[in-house]
Amino acid sequence: MVELISRISKGTRMDQIYIPKKRIDLTVGSYVAIRPLETTAEEEIKLFFYNVKHLEPIKTRIIKEIFKNLNQLIKCDNIIITGSFLESGFRFNDMDIILVSEEKINIKPIESLLENRMGPKFHLILISNKALIKGLSTDPLYMLMLSKCVSKTRFVYRVKPKINYKLVDLHLLKSKLLIDNFDFLTGDEKYEMTRNLIAINQFINKKEITKDKVDLAINNFFGNKTVQKLRNNFLLAKDFLKKYKKVYNNAQNRVLKGIKGEPKQK
Amino acid sequence: MDLFIGNISNSAVHMILGKAIDEDNIRKHYDKEFSISLDIAKSYREKINPKNTPFHGKEIKDIKDRVIKKVRAELNLRISKGYQNINIGLIWPTVNKILKKTKVI
Repeated sequence: MVELISRISKGTRMDQIYIPKKRIDLTVGSYVAIRPLETTAEEEIKLFFYNVKHLEPIKTRIIKEIFKNLNQLIKCDNIIITGSFLESGFRFNDMDIILVSEEKINIKPIESLLENRMGPKFHLILISNKALIKGLSTDPLYMLMLSKCVSKTRFVYRVKPKINYKLVDLHLLKSKLLIDNFDFLTGDEKYEMTRNLIAINQFINKKEITKDKVDLAINNFFGNKTVQKLRNNFLLAKDFLKKYKKVYNNAQNRVLKGIKGEPKQK
Repeated sequence: MDLFIGNISNSAVHMILGKAIDEDNIRKHYDKEFSISLDIAKSYREKINPKNTPFHGKEIKDIKDRVIKKVRAELNLRISKGYQNINIGLIWPTVNKILKKTKVI
């Protein structure tokens, strides 16, 4: 396909674009589309890394490509990549992307379009700025999720934690499944539930929550290399579950005590 | 099956606790968590045959009894620790609704 680059020049009644008379294709009378030329500056996408110590160059290129595609499809204040894609290696199930926007966006068609264009499965979460800040101060899972991320624009990362025990109770319940179903869960499921429990434990003890610190706490609580053993599903139930139940029950007691002490709802 | 039962029990607990909350902002979280846990339950349901048709009478009763027992235990624990506004009467209709959504009944 022939492509020509030309400049719009000012005319008296109408502005015009001059193209060479000697050219291949684009005959007089044919209809053409005019669109702005993407400049190098526009193509260059800057990434902001939060607690990502190393990322394979191919992944950086993929993220830039995702941002470029999303910029073409929607208008949003920020795009944040998080989750297993940012872990070392290529062991990720899907790509978790947070779209920060005040506008309502139908994300399902965008997910399918990205999948068709790029291949992997995409999991888009649409959130407003206000909800993001609130999530970061009240929700340990948000803290965990956004403790390691890559974003399109810089965002406020450190917010003061505020414990809402009813929300924490809600999140803690997810980790209970491991106690009754240890033998049926996959390694990743076990790791996620354990990580959730420990993140909540750190949160109610007012400790900082980052992915690395939670992993370290898991290894400290349950023994050396527990994270690795959990993810590979090599862990024996007996000793692990005994400690897990203890941590879970302690956390649950703290949370339920907290609910009792919370000011009554209006 | 145990995982499926655990997940639908969680969905039911989320739904009932959501109704015990007056604050709109927090209830939205419960609604969201309910739909996430329901999706997880549905994905486990997909792994159990028959996938698209309801279970038989005895199996339905067995699943329902196990789910109700789990939900009741979770809610009673919270009530005993001072969690207010939990309506135990919602257990049966909520579990029924979720079992329909997951094609158990």
